[in-house]
Order: sequence, then structure tokens, then C-alpha cells
Amino acid sequence: MVTKAAEPDISARLGGLRLSVPTLMGSGCYGSGEEYASLVDLAQLGGVVLKSVTRLPRLGNDAPRLVPVASGLLNAIGLQNPGIESYLASDVAKFADRPCAVVGSVAGFSVDDYAFVTERLAARDEIDAIELNISCPNVGAEGETFACDPDLAERATRAARAATAKPLIVKLSPNVTDIAAIARVVEAAGADALAVINTVRGMAIDVDRVKPKLANVSGGLSGAAIRPIAVLAVWEVARAVRIPIVGQGGIETARDALEFVLAGATAVSIGTGNFTDPRVPLAVASGIRTYLAERGIATLAEIVGSANPGFRGAR
Amino acid sequence: MPVLETPPLVHETVVSDRREPFSDIVIIGLYAPKIAREARPGQFVMAVTPSGERVATALGIYEAAGDRISLMLVVVGPRTRELALLERGDRLVLAGPLGNGFQLQALGKNVALIAGGVGLASLLLPAQRLLADGARVHLYYGARTAGALVDAELFEAAGAGVSLATDDGSRGHHGYVTELLAREGRTHETIAACGPSPMLRAVGTLARTLGVRAQVSLEETFACGVGACWGCVVPLERSSAQAPAFPPVAPGETRDYVHARICKEGPVFWSDELRW
Ligand SMILES: Cc1cc2nc3c(=O)[nH]c(=O)nc-3n(C[C@H](O)[C@H](O)[C@H](O)COP(=O)(O)OP(=O)(O)OC[C@H]3O[C@@H](n4cnc5c(N)ncnc54)[C@H](O)[C@@H]3O)c2cc1C
Ligand SMILES: Cc1cc2nc3c(=O)[nH]c(=O)nc-3n(C[C@H](O)[C@H](O)[C@H](O)COP(=O)(O)O)c2cc1C
Ligand code: FES
Repeated sequence: MVTKAAEPDISARLGGLRLSVPTLMGSGCYGSGEEYASLVDLAQLGGVVLKSVTRLPRLGNDAPRLVPVASGLLNAIGLQNPGIESYLASDVAKFADRPCAVVGSVAGFSVDDYAFVTERLAARDEIDAIELNISCPNVGAEGETFACDPDLAERATRAARAATAKPLIVKLSPNVTDIAAIARVVEAAGADALAVINTVRGMAIDVDRVKPKLANVSGGLSGAAIRPIAVLAVWEVARAVRIPIVGQGGIETARDALEFVLAGATAVSIGTGNFTDPRVPLAVASGIRTYLAERGIATLAEIVGSANPGFRGAR
Repeated sequence: MPVLETPPLVHETVVSDRREPFSDIVIIGLYAPKIAREARPGQFVMAVTPSGERVATALGIYEAAGDRISLMLVVVGPRTRELALLERGDRLVLAGPLGNGFQLQALGKNVALIAGGVGLASLLLPAQRLLADGARVHLYYGARTAGALVDAELFEAAGAGVSLATDDGSRGHHGYVTELLAREGRTHETIAACGPSPMLRAVGTLARTLGVRAQVSLEETFACGVGACWGCVVPLERSSAQAPAFPPVAPGETRDYVHARICKEGPVFWSDELRW
């Protein structure tokens, strides 16, 4: 009898956070996971990054907030969320029964905001790790400043680091000249992992009505349209830091995800791909397994960064 | 690609029939037994674009009987264009049924249905159910031109009265469908409407004038369709039974409403509770 080769191990480690499957669902795209539970078996996901939460409640931007564009989506939600106190009181307890990792996402407008919200949220057992969203492009000038200024990025990271011992992922913006430079200071400030990238700034104009399509005028572009931008960003960051990277931007298939892995990402995140087809995360996980099995590779970790000669991370 | 296990609301359906009653209007029938069984009037599906190149499209469930449902497509852009090319035997992945449909009980026993264009697609199941439950139903149906007024006879066959309007006057009332209702002077207990936003706003105004309540089904752009992304919001009175829980907002916020997700709290809302 032929013994079946062991299934490849596609687990991933982000600091102290272990994912049995290397797929996180992107912040703001998957709610708290529960919203998708009727469409997807959540146990087959690595984890869900929750919608970003801020210190105070935010009603978010006016509608329209979405514009579908070629190979992607423009969004300007504007960080609508109930604020940390109401979130802790009414929402967080419901995350306890998620059969996958739960990563809290923290957004802010000051260094103190990041520290405060991180401390409050990370203190809860339901939260396995924190992602610091220092890169939201849809809340006026303040939101993205943190990811675009090395000094602010460093201070926000340091403040959040001091506020929790749980794994800390910092999410970087592509809307900078030198993403590797930001990555370096964020690593030095104590981040356990980096999420690369958030959305790319963009806009669309209704030529019949002669006005911008988004109420917020500009928005964040996501989906397949930004994938090459995101792969390059991961490539560059992977040559600059040793901490693990969560690659994201337009992942819709296992081969897309593998581009990120080969560039240097330890895990991947899927946002807009879920809107294209809710089965994308399952296809990504099974396709990665098949790819490894076909090549006789035992673990995903072995191929992280293997297309990138300058890859500095640990495998 | 390997065969994927699909949880309850994701369905691989197959096109069973297709007709094109007018240029750029296509009705595709699908073998979709689960959706056909479970669909409530006013619910929708998210249709995965066959090329996979764009986000899925929200479509109202037009007909549902036996093992078959149908979808009505009006070609307005790349996704509806692609879906309209589907032929008998093609596969189509649908997530659904999704959303809260019409509150039929609350519509009472004498209902005006108002359809603008493809909004008709979300009103056939409500019409059939209301009629089956013994209500009187009259359809006011508007489109840009005579040919685009498709399938009014399905409503007549179900027992509804029908009045028509066209933007170019080629059939029925020349002008807006809301004017038609006001002009024909029939009285109704309530209104249920689906169509483009400007029409639904007009329905809201008309309902207020007539002193009746209206349920309107909104057709804005969706991304997730399941309440996860907060991309499809509409301003709603805090006091609405459909308002999502939301704390009092921060100092400096002048907006006194909440944002409800059309895909999750809706797509049907009471027009007098919307703040748009
Ligand atoms: C609950 C629900 C049910 C629906 N049911 C049906 C249905 O049964 N049949 C059907 O054909 N369609 C239906 N729609 C509408 C359909 O989902 C959209 O028209 C969809 O955008 C079509 O995609 P597209 O790529 O073909 O066109 P798109 O490129 O998305 O848009 C086509 C045109 O519409 C305009 N447009 C799109 N969104 C907006 C907006 N928010 N504000 C102003 N203009 C806009 C664009 O500018 C463009 O001119 C429904 C929508 C909802 C939310
Ligand atoms: C509708 C929408 C809402 C988003 N909201 C957030 C958010 O609240 N916080 C955040 O860090 N990223 C947010 N993002 C960014 C995504 O998490 C992701 O990083 C980005 O879209 C790129 O990945 P994708 O192409 O797979 O979507 C949002 C993206 C979309 C499309
Ligand atoms: S489309 Fe995502 S919340 Fe409605």
C-alpha cells in the first residue's frame, strides 16, 4: 500500500501569533467574521482582522462610499465604528467563539489614541493580537500621517508596544516614497510583524454628473488593480526588516498569494477578494497546499522570500 | 481548481433558460433549488462575475418556483454586461438569499407597487405573495421607453392591476411613474417600491402627500452584500426599528442619524425613516 505523503504544513507564525492557515481576512472587509459565517466555514481561515476601532464613535463618511472600478474597488468608509468603550461593552464578547484567530485593529488620530485603544482592546481575552492601522487614507489628512512620517510611525508603534505584550502587527501605507524606511523604524519600535499594504489613494469622476463619484472625493483603491504595487512593497520591505510580513493587496487566487510569499510574506491577507467570490480564502489555502505538495515541499515557511535574493527575514 | 465545499448560502447554479425581451434586458432562469425554496419576497443574491475580474453584483430574486429562480439583468455596466452573456448550461455562483425583504404583513390588504426599470425584479415575488394572501395589488410601472416595459403581464397573470408610464411617452403615461399614481387617484393603504434612488425619493415625497407609508427597496452599490464592509450605508432615523445599535456620537458631530447597511438592515426601508 502506498502511504499518502503528509499534507504540507501551511501554518504561519507572526511573532507569538500562530495561524494554522496563512490567510487573514483584511480589516474592514470581513466585519467580525460573523457576517460571513453563512457563506464560509470560518474554521478554514487563519484569522479575521476586525474592523478598525477608534477611541470615540465615528459615523463615518457620507454615501456613496464604494465605487467598483476595473479590477478593483475604491472605498471611503471613513472608519465608521462605535468607539472603543461601546465596542468593549457590546461587541468583543461575541468574538470568543470564532474558530480562527481574532486580530483587533486599532486606528487613531494621536499617539495617545493608539496607546489607549491598544491597551483597552488587547486586555481582552477574545483578542489574539493587535493590528495597528496607521494607514487609513479616508479620514482626511490626519489618518495616514502616521504611516507617512517615520517619526510618527515610530511613536505610534512604540506607544502601542508599551500598551500590550500581545503580538503587534503594524499596517503600512503604500502612499509613501520609501516604504522600507518606514518599515525599519516600525521594526525598531517593537512591532512583531508588518501588514503590507493598505489601500492606494485614488478617485473616480462621474463624467455625466461632472463630480467625484465618492462623497469623500478620494478613497482607497484595493483589489487586483493594486497587486503589483503590493508585491513590490513586500519585496522591498522584506529586504529591510527581519520581522514577518503579512502580504496583501488584490489576492484572489493561490498563485496571487504565492507571489507575496515568494517576495517575502510569511502570511497573506484577503480583503476585496472576498467581495469577488466569498470562496477565495478557501481556494487560496487549498491551492497553496497543492503547490507545495506538487513540489514535494513540506512547509510553507521554507519558501517564504525564496524569489527575493535580498530577503532578510527568518524562515 | 479543486471542487470546493460550499457552506449553506453559496450555490453553484446552472442557467436553465434565457430570454431577452428588449435590447439590454435579459432574464436568466437558473436551476437553484435551495434559493428557490428559501427566498423571501424582496431578498437578493450576490452573483459572482464569471470572469472573476470585478466584485460580485447584487441582483434581486425575480421569480422563484419549484427548483428554478430567475434574475432580471438590465445592462448598465461591465458586470451586468458579462452576466447578460450567460447561456443555457453555463454555471453561475450565487450567494443568497440575502437581506431582509419587504414586511408584507405591514403592507396590509391594498397595496400600490411602484417599479422603476429593473426595480420590477424585486417586486414580482411580493406581488404574488400579497395576492396569495388575499391583498389587492396594483402595479405602477415606469421605464424609459415602451419596449423596456417588460413582463407587466406576469403581474396581470398573478392578479394585479397594472398602469404604465414611459419617459418618452411611447406607452402609457408620458412622465414619471409617481405622477401616474398621483393622477390615477386610486387609493391604497401602503406603497412598496423599487427603482433608482431619485424615483424612490419621489415615492417618499408622494407617500407623505398621500398620507400613506411606503417601503422602498434601495439599489445602491454593494461590495460584500452581507454587512461586513459598511460600504453600502444610507442615513436612517435613530428611532427606526431597523437602525443598527450605535452609541451617541462624539462631540462636534452634527449628523443626528445613524448609518444603516442597505445589504444587512435593508435593502427595504420605510421611506419616512430614511434621512436622504
Ligand atoms: C439590492 C439590489 C438589487 C438589485 N437588483 C438588480 C436586478 O435585479 N437587476 C439589475 O440589473 N440590477 C440590479 N441591481 C443593480 C446592480 O447591482 C448595479 O446596477 C450594478 O452596479 C451593476 O454593475 P455593472 O458593473 O454592470 O455597472 P456599474 O459599472 O457598477 O454601474 C453602471 C452605471 O450605474 C452607475 N452607478 C452605479 N452605482 C451608482 C451609484 N451608487 N450612484 C450613482 N450611479 C451609480 C454608474 O455610474 C454607471 O453609469 C440591484 C442592486 C441592489 C443593491
Ligand atoms: C471596504 C474596505 C474597508 C476597509 N477598511 C479598513 C479598515 O478599517 N482598517 C484597515 O486597516 N484597513 C481597511 N481596509 C484595507 C484592507 O484591509 C486591505 O489592507 C486592502 O484593501 C488591500 O487588500 P485587498 O486588495 O485584498 O482588499 C479596507 C478595505 C476595504 C476595501
Ligand atoms: S455591501 Fe458590505 S456592508 Fe453592505
